[in-house]
Amino acid sequence: MTAATAVRQPARSTEPGTTTVLSRAAGAEWVRLRTVRTTWWCLVAATVTIVGLGAIAAADDAEGTATAANPIVSTFAGEYGVLLGQFALLVLALLAVTSEYASGAIGPTLSWTPRRGVLLAARIAVPAIVVTVVGVALALTADVVALLIDPDLTLPVEDGAGSLARIAAVLAAGAVMAVGAGLLLRSTAGALATVFLLQLVLPFLFQSFGVQWLADLAEWLPGTGAVRLLLDEPMDMSLGHAAALVVGWAGLALAAGGWRLLRRDAG
Amino acid sequence: MIEVRGLTKTYGAVRAVDDLTFDVQPGKVTGFLGPNGAGKSTTMRMVLGLDRPTAGSALVGGRPFARLGEPLRAAGALLDAQAVHPGRSGRDHLRVAARSQGLPSRRVDEVIDQVGLGSAAKRRVKGYSLGMRQRLGIAGALLGDPAVLLFDEPMNGLDLDGVRWVRGLVRRLADEGRTVLLSSHLMSEMEQTADHLVIIGRGRLIADAPIAEVLRGRHAHAKVRVRTPALDDLAGALLRRGFRVHPTDGGELLVEGAPAETVGDVALEVGASVHRLAEEHSSLEEVYLDLTGDSVQYKVSAPDLVGARR
Repeated sequence: MTAATAVRQPARSTEPGTTTVLSRAAGAEWVRLRTVRTTWWCLVAATVTIVGLGAIAAADDAEGTATAANPIVSTFAGEYGVLLGQFALLVLALLAVTSEYASGAIGPTLSWTPRRGVLLAARIAVPAIVVTVVGVALALTADVVALLIDPDLTLPVEDGAGSLARIAAVLAAGAVMAVGAGLLLRSTAGALATVFLLQLVLPFLFQSFGVQWLADLAEWLPGTGAVRLLLDEPMDMSLGHAAALVVGWAGLALAAGGWRLLRRDAG
Repeated sequence: MIEVRGLTKTYGAVRAVDDLTFDVQPGKVTGFLGPNGAGKSTTMRMVLGLDRPTAGSALVGGRPFARLGEPLRAAGALLDAQAVHPGRSGRDHLRVAARSQGLPSRRVDEVIDQVGLGSAAKRRVKGYSLGMRQRLGIAGALLGDPAVLLFDEPMNGLDLDGVRWVRGLVRRLADEGRTVLLSSHLMSEMEQTADHLVIIGRGRLIADAPIAEVLRGRHAHAKVRVRTPALDDLAGALLRRGFRVHPTDGGELLVEGAPAETVGDVALEVGASVHRLAEEHSSLEEVYLDLTGDSVQYKVSAPDLVGARR
């Protein structure tokens, strides 16, 4: 039936370096992220929550504490906003991972970027950067909006920068934790529940029972660290301890999720 | 070229793929056949590095696929047409692929034209028929102009036009000197399209041979169809010589195990005038069913086919 007319030689002498492969994989992740509507809905939700809550907090404050003689720094607006609004951003990061397992699209993804270490790096970095940059920008917006709402507020550069740095740490660590949970559990519902429990529900629940050992346990959850970084509460936890908590949990999730991506079948 | 060497995959106690060794040669369409659960998809997934072999290895163009930096230039695959994010447009799906290989977006529009996806490429995959998803998957496989192509059931869900199109496409790809591995359950399609067959059952190799050889092999039973007014005389004579004879609805005899010459000679002996005498080869479907009917049983008797290529 056939005779091979011309046997093609596989073109392979020009194999690209790891830096090139990684930057292409990251580019592909970026296109992936912005070509689904879910991403944009999450960004809308984050904008409404962070800027909206900030504005409400500022409006509330306009009736009370701050005066021209005794101004309050407006960073609380962005911090309260991010406290809740972070979840819209974490959902964005998490869905970027788990939606591929739901649809099976992880198969094509890995056949385009079969070097899994490269895929892991791109898959962690792109959502984490997007979430952090967007979240910090929205928090800054909330701070500025708060200034406009309540002229008695103030926003010194140093305080603003400090607040945004803490917000960036919370969001970057949270995004890495969300991606790690997604890679480990491979299920949207499972990973979402895990992140919500660790970051929001359990820290508050454990402290609300008034049982000491539960309260102690809450001190080990990433959500407690995030609240400490955002709101300076509880005061008895040092900033370093709080940072170690969120970074530690992010590292743990990254290690577990990375193990599953690197060592197990595609899924 | 794809080289599969001792490839094995176990899930607990189940050996889904069991010590498979075969080559897929360039310039040919190699049909990959086997019953459901025989391990075809698992084998293809291991070739692409998606699943980790328990033992053995697979090379694509002489290298493990999982180490390639620009894999789409080496091998393109369509394993599961449904495995696409439903919320993304077909074009965006291909743009992600192109971006991951450093391919220009011009290539995306080229393959969209090539598979005939047209303006549907701008719509979200959610609304695609299975046939459109197959075309999208094939477009993705062709994106990097690869030397090796793997298609798992690419004709699923295609209408007749689509099936004919895939048949022409894989033929052309092979004629261009590419390596084409094609799995399908459509035996008649395989018979028309494949040059070479790799048949597996229960994870083991049953046959690895040119299709003509499979069709003429020991599991193929040549039949002779004969038409004569002296039906009973001829049938009796053939039966006495130990051949199996089946009367057909059209008033003819179907003789198994005898070449046409013998049937003609016997007819002459008994004085039966022959109005028609024709040799019939078994279809791939018959041979396939015979081969895979009991994979373990035929595993033992298969060496005559295994390695009989070239």
